[in-house]
Amino acid sequence: MLDVRDICKNFGGLRVSRDISMHLERGERRVVLGPNGAGKTTLFNLLAGTLKPTSGEILLDGARITNLNVEQRARLGLSRSYQKNNLFEGLTVRENLALAAATGEGKTSSFFSRAHESRSVRETVEEVAEMVGLADRLDTGVAHASYGNRRQLEVGLALATKPKLLLMDEPTSGVGPGMIDAFHRLIASLPREITIVIVEHDLDLGFDVADRISVLNYGEVVFEGTPDETKGSDVVREIYLGDWQGDA
Amino acid sequence: MFHQTPLKTFTVAAVIAALALYAILGGYFPREIVIEIALLAILAVSLDFVAGYGGMVSLCHGAIYGIGAYAFAGMTAIGGYDTVTATLVALAAAAAFGLFVGAVAANITGIFFIMATLAFGQMAYVVVFESRALGGDDGLSGIARYDLSAIGIDMNDSLQFALFCLAVVVIAYAAAAYVLRSTFGRTLSGIHSNEDRMRALGLTAWRHKAVAFSFSSMLAGAAGILAAQHTQFVSPELLVWTVSGEVLIVVILGGLGTLAGPIAGAALLVLLKHKIGAYTEHWHLVIGLFLVAAVMAGGRGVYGQIEYWLRQRAGRRADA
Repeated sequence: MLDVRDICKNFGGLRVSRDISMHLERGERRVVLGPNGAGKTTLFNLLAGTLKPTSGEILLDGARITNLNVEQRARLGLSRSYQKNNLFEGLTVRENLALAAATGEGKTSSFFSRAHESRSVRETVEEVAEMVGLADRLDTGVAHASYGNRRQLEVGLALATKPKLLLMDEPTSGVGPGMIDAFHRLIASLPREITIVIVEHDLDLGFDVADRISVLNYGEVVFEGTPDETKGSDVVREIYLGDWQGDA
Repeated sequence: MFHQTPLKTFTVAAVIAALALYAILGGYFPREIVIEIALLAILAVSLDFVAGYGGMVSLCHGAIYGIGAYAFAGMTAIGGYDTVTATLVALAAAAAFGLFVGAVAANITGIFFIMATLAFGQMAYVVVFESRALGGDDGLSGIARYDLSAIGIDMNDSLQFALFCLAVVVIAYAAAAYVLRSTFGRTLSGIHSNEDRMRALGLTAWRHKAVAFSFSSMLAGAAGILAAQHTQFVSPELLVWTVSGEVLIVVILGGLGTLAGPIAGAALLVLLKHKIGAYTEHWHLVIGLFLVAAVMAGGRGVYGQIEYWLRQRAGRRADA
């Protein structure tokens, strides 16, 4: 489904991503973990298309997407959510989702139709609102919505284009402890046909939703395995907790 | 996002009806004022379409207005073509220029976008000014008006011409409102609200903005066609950037992003200009103070402020 082959990204002399490779099966949930500065955001941007790798290849369903820009990748079924909410301010939740759904259907350019009010868009809007728990908030103005609702809508916008591959950048960023579990359940309950890559620094999200976990450190993949293997890994423990003896 | 509210419908209808009445009851001079308002109102609607709903503040709408006027003038006075062909060519010329400017400037944001449009407008001005074929700074005369005698309209009558111009204002407003409610217009609102996100959803935003700019330019070109017929003379003065500046003032005075406001703004500006101009040469000063007051009071413009108040009141009633 998604094939990342030996991608490197240098900023001048700084090697931020080093020979990263990963292979995802259709429907897989992959969580990419790593401490601050491990190169998670850079990897995310390389996948989303906001950055181009210095070398290496990215393939989506066998097609090279390495040199495609953000909107071209989106049209191939790659969708993303943002670490910082990036919504259509001033509009309602419904209008936000309708914009995403119509754009996802490729309906953007007609002067004579009203795709945003069409049946298929309305159905997508309701379906997605149900998935992210905003079904009873559709007519709320985004500006007046709670942070948690805005966070849910952030995911909803990414889902409304009906993507094959969903990239999520720290989806629980800023969500309070009271809502974290609900958010993990939300992500775990997303349709199984969507392949998901989540970049996150919180280990618990990985353990709750991942099929496999990749751990980045200093721009390299230092570990890959199931959540259980990750829990037992000395490498991961060392990165996250440091050397206990040394610190003491 | 644009909604054709009852307040918008009422405002447009009231302003147009008042101007029509003013033209009917007044003599030659009031009719000239009504025509001036109508031309400015069409330009203001076209500018509000891109500036208020697409976030593209343009300082070349005056130049596009001039391109429409010159294309119509050239086709009829030099080329000897009929007015229908000339109209189509003039609309196409304005739209093509707008598409070009929009495509080049679409990835530029903020003040730099404004500067880019200003530069393109000035280029058009210089080309027309230097062009011998188009009469250079002497301009072109001998431009025909539409012949609507078949439906009983005498375009050489000042009242009927003024009413015709008002009808075109309504058509321009209706066209802009229709497009803003279409798939294209909703997508444009999305770009205005969050261009980055629209791209992440798969939209080629620059192309969409270029087409929007082209549509707006076509409306501005329509105003130019009327301007050419009005005086039956065109000169490079039409393309000067201060024309664009005046249109922008009208949009801000009436209410940016309200579509109906700019029509009221055009009427307000022109009437103030003539009424105050009768007492003092320094009418610019009064307009300036008006504009400063409008911007300081929240930047919503005269119509925008009224719309805001009514919405606040409706909101309070809903809460109670």
